[in-house]
Amino acid sequence: MIRRPHRFAFAVFGGVLALWLVVMLFVMRDAALPASAEGTMLVVFEPGTSEETAFAAITQAGAKPIRKTDFGFIWVVNGNAGALQQAGALGTYKELPISPVIAGCLAVVDAKAADAFGL
Amino acid sequence: MNDTASRTLPWYFAPMLVLVCGCIVAIINFGIRSTFGLFTLPISEANQWPREIFSLGIAIQNLVWGIATPIAGMLADRFGAARVIMVGAVLYGLGMAGINLANTPFLFYVTAGLLVGTGVALSSFGIVMAALGRIVPPEKRSWAFGLATASGSLGQFIFAPLAGALIPAYGWPATLNILAASSVLLILFAMPLLVQKGVSNKAAIGETSLTMTQAIGKAFGHNSYLLLVSGFFVCGFQLAFVTVHLPPYLADHGISKEFAGLAMGLIGLFNMIGAYTAGVMGGKMEKRVPLAIIYLLRSIVVTIFILTPITQVTTLIFTATLGVLWLSTVPFTMSLITVMFGTRYMATLYGFVFLSHQVGSFLGVWLGGKLYDMYGTYDPVWWLGVGLGVFAFLVHLPIREKRAESFAAA
Repeated sequence: MIRRPHRFAFAVFGGVLALWLVVMLFVMRDAALPASAEGTMLVVFEPGTSEETAFAAITQAGAKPIRKTDFGFIWVVNGNAGALQQAGALGTYKELPISPVIAGCLAVVDAKAADAFGL
Repeated sequence: MNDTASRTLPWYFAPMLVLVCGCIVAIINFGIRSTFGLFTLPISEANQWPREIFSLGIAIQNLVWGIATPIAGMLADRFGAARVIMVGAVLYGLGMAGINLANTPFLFYVTAGLLVGTGVALSSFGIVMAALGRIVPPEKRSWAFGLATASGSLGQFIFAPLAGALIPAYGWPATLNILAASSVLLILFAMPLLVQKGVSNKAAIGETSLTMTQAIGKAFGHNSYLLLVSGFFVCGFQLAFVTVHLPPYLADHGISKEFAGLAMGLIGLFNMIGAYTAGVMGGKMEKRVPLAIIYLLRSIVVTIFILTPITQVTTLIFTATLGVLWLSTVPFTMSLITVMFGTRYMATLYGFVFLSHQVGSFLGVWLGGKLYDMYGTYDPVWWLGVGLGVFAFLVHLPIREKRAESFAAA
């Protein structure tokens, strides 16, 4: 039968999570706003970016900060996606109806993977 | 299924594959269901409906899910879990895709409420657990229940952000179609479960020779079963109240919705750990005592949470701890059913226990809102939940953890 049940469970869950991450990577790429997008959006900076640095980048991009989240590197702003990315944002998204923390983490993965693969 | 028997079966009935597919069924079934909150705004706005129409549709879904679960259990015990899951997958898919065409409240109630609710019941992890419970040897049964329950939790954890990203990427109608297609995939993953046939009219070795009607009657005449049913009512009350009312409670105490989202996500993550661990523990010790302690711990954790200042740290500690205690009741409850009544009618008897859970869920959500409106605070419902937790602790202790006399082997 199953000789090492915990290892089996770990493999099943790990495999499903790995598949999910790959799918999420592609979906998040499609969910990212094009550079021409304007309006209210979620802007994600490198994790660890201070609130002050993020705020400065937002204003530098000519965007209007609407509110910050509990995580200083994720803000809800009104502005232009391309300008925000030029000002140092990793990615811009519509304000997702989920915790932006999740979107933020995947946005980081998304940006780094895109960079690595030259996408 | 012993090793000798399994060696004579084709590869697609290999126990390992059956277990993996059972887990995937639980992941998809529970996962899709957890995405509905994300559609509240887009569907209501697209149809220019007040939110109560969407809410009523989901309330109908939960009610139908509860009522249909014992029926699904009866069908699974009679015809086998795989066939029931396959029918459920079709209904689930039709319901999800049908929401796109629902331009009147009635059609929405039929698709999102009736069809999805029935589909969820017929393909739920309760049915999967019943199948796995018959496939694995008795000493691995509780572990398999824990595995299936943890899989359902994993589904919630992965599908909510996936749907949350699919909606802005492709639009909510396409997201519904993708989820509908995912639910139809359940048919494929249910196929290996065909290895577990329905019990038909024959009793397997070591199982009761009672008919289904007799078994249901005898179970409801068994005090320990009634105690289990009443205890699971509390589980439903507490979980549904927290799921629906914790985010607004946190908002009342100055916690942002983003942080509340993270905190709720922690419940899902730690739930996997708790459910799996409960399954492992259930295979090594008596089940009623740890089950009773889970309810007592919930009461203690809630008491500490509401008596201390609500901060981000206390919120995270609360949700992580509650996550461990979240669905960890399920493997113990299912295991107790098999101990008392065997595996022949386990899906049916679990179905009735789960119906009690859903009644509790309904009251937890409804009373949460009602009492908040009356008193302007959630405190009365929190304390009611604490009291019910102590009640559940007490009613689980006298459960007799042995085969019921009328369910003695044929």
